[in-house]
Amino acid sequence: MGEEINRWTAAGRKAAAVGKIAFRHQLAYKTDFAMRCFFLLFILFVFIQLWSTAYGGNFETVISGFTLKQIVWYLVFTEALTLAAPPLCARIEEEVKNGDVAIRLIRPQSYVGYHFSVFASEALTRFLVHLLVGSAITWPFVGPPAFGYGWFGLLALSAGALTITFLLLAIVGLCAFWVEETSGLYFVLQKLQFTIGGMLLPIDLMPEWLQRVCAWLPFQAALYFPARMAVHYDAALLAKHLAVQAAWIAVLAFAVGRIYRRGATKLHVNGG
Amino acid sequence: MMALRTRGLGKTFRVKKKEAGLSGSFRSLWKPQWETKEAVRGIDLNVREGETVAFLGPNGAGKSTTIKMLTGILHPSFGEAEVLGFTPWKEREQLAYRIGTVFGQKSQLWYHLPPIDTFELIGRIYELKRDEYARRKDDLIERFELGPYLHTPVRKLSLGERMRCEIAASLLHRPKLLFMDEPTIGLDAVVKQRIRELIRERNREEGTTVFLTSHDAGDVETLCSRAVVIHHGGVLIDEPVEKMKREVLSRKNVTLKLAEDAELVDLPELEGVAWEREKREIRLAVDLKRTTIERVLGELIGRIGFTDVNVEDPPLEEIIKYIYGMRMEKEETGWAKR
Repeated sequence: MGEEINRWTAAGRKAAAVGKIAFRHQLAYKTDFAMRCFFLLFILFVFIQLWSTAYGGNFETVISGFTLKQIVWYLVFTEALTLAAPPLCARIEEEVKNGDVAIRLIRPQSYVGYHFSVFASEALTRFLVHLLVGSAITWPFVGPPAFGYGWFGLLALSAGALTITFLLLAIVGLCAFWVEETSGLYFVLQKLQFTIGGMLLPIDLMPEWLQRVCAWLPFQAALYFPARMAVHYDAALLAKHLAVQAAWIAVLAFAVGRIYRRGATKLHVNGG
Repeated sequence: MMALRTRGLGKTFRVKKKEAGLSGSFRSLWKPQWETKEAVRGIDLNVREGETVAFLGPNGAGKSTTIKMLTGILHPSFGEAEVLGFTPWKEREQLAYRIGTVFGQKSQLWYHLPPIDTFELIGRIYELKRDEYARRKDDLIERFELGPYLHTPVRKLSLGERMRCEIAASLLHRPKLLFMDEPTIGLDAVVKQRIRELIRERNREEGTTVFLTSHDAGDVETLCSRAVVIHHGGVLIDEPVEKMKREVLSRKNVTLKLAEDAELVDLPELEGVAWEREKREIRLAVDLKRTTIERVLGELIGRIGFTDVNVEDPPLEEIIKYIYGMRMEKEETGWAKR
């Protein structure tokens, strides 16, 4: 038992060290950061115009439980989370193609654990920056984000949401151990996140049959849960959402572990 | 005690075969054809602790694949291996604490950050105690003379500076066995020599076992006590470097750059020297068993007007081709087979 605890403590320290260096490393990519922020501003401006038209500019109208202000802030949160995810699939694919995967595997550290540390460090930084940038454009158009405990709900569910996003991306990325080309799979995953994940539209606005399908898939736990909880805080629902996220994390982590172990035996490391 | 031992270790890959052209691409889409490629064909190796072994072979012979199997990066298709008592692909993480790996063509340093940041990370990843890490880091910085560029982003370092940092980073956790895959590739002669000295020093002072692949005969001569040559995925030769040196590393190539056309130059007869002319260049193959570089150059100075001279080892491919030819000849003439 004591040995097991020491092992997990050591793994945690290693993860923290990788996260710290990844944070410093990403600061070198200032242009990339600026471009993403600009895109976020642009896309939110388009959404604000679109939904203002849909609501007829009326701030009192409620559609499927959402006012105009709530729906626009909902989109700020889903966009901030979506754009926060680093390109994990492309990274793993590139590592396999150019053989850099060898550098990861010479270390006494889990391959997936290493990528999770880098992902978490980058995603959390980006998420906070995107929240600030998104707020800067949304506030003047629809008013301040006065959601009270909703902020707590957002932060509580965002950690799980980003972990689920990581695991989904890792499943697709690790396919590179077999096929070396994962862009097609990533395209499908991304579009599923955009639609039935609730990025473009809260799931409450979808037909009921589709809502029932979404309830059985992991995508809503990665975007819809935190964004909806932010604008519609509900303590009982928060506990349920946290439990659903934990269940999906367990299932997906198991799948990632199995895929990695199988993939490692198939791996063909290219180049010298 | 053995540092590493392999028995019939091999790796095969499935490679998709595709015919040329658009129709070939379509055919491959409907009916893909696969070919099994044997990268390593059942290698038997024994390396004792403290040995310095050169693992040689032409491109595609399976050197890097073997190193990747021995470090646990790749799973073999057949055979077995034991490195420092561990089965590499089953106990990769436990083994990683005890081995160091340098890939000359890949970097373990974080590109936009100074090397000291990667050193710090490695200290944490290998769970080194803080005081132990600080002592080891300071020692390596001094020995590898890394002080001046320790705080410079890696992207701004020269290849030689970067390689010294790469090797120092691989030694931070005091590995018992150091795997090096072409550590001197692309480096100039002075830097190569310095790197060889530093590795020899680690072997002498700390007893680090070195297992190295290289295309540079100089690495083999100055660093290693034993050479294993593989060809077509199998072991072709396994003997002390001294013996190999006497048999096959006893040649140097000398290139003379001329001010005039090589055809106009009158070449003297010299024992143990073969000539080849090309435009404004004369290439000499000098047999060191019969003469010395000093004697040859002494004879040429004053007789031939050359503007530059370059003395180098024959390329390893040439040496291996020579060994291969020699083995075949021995077998055909009924000489003792290996």
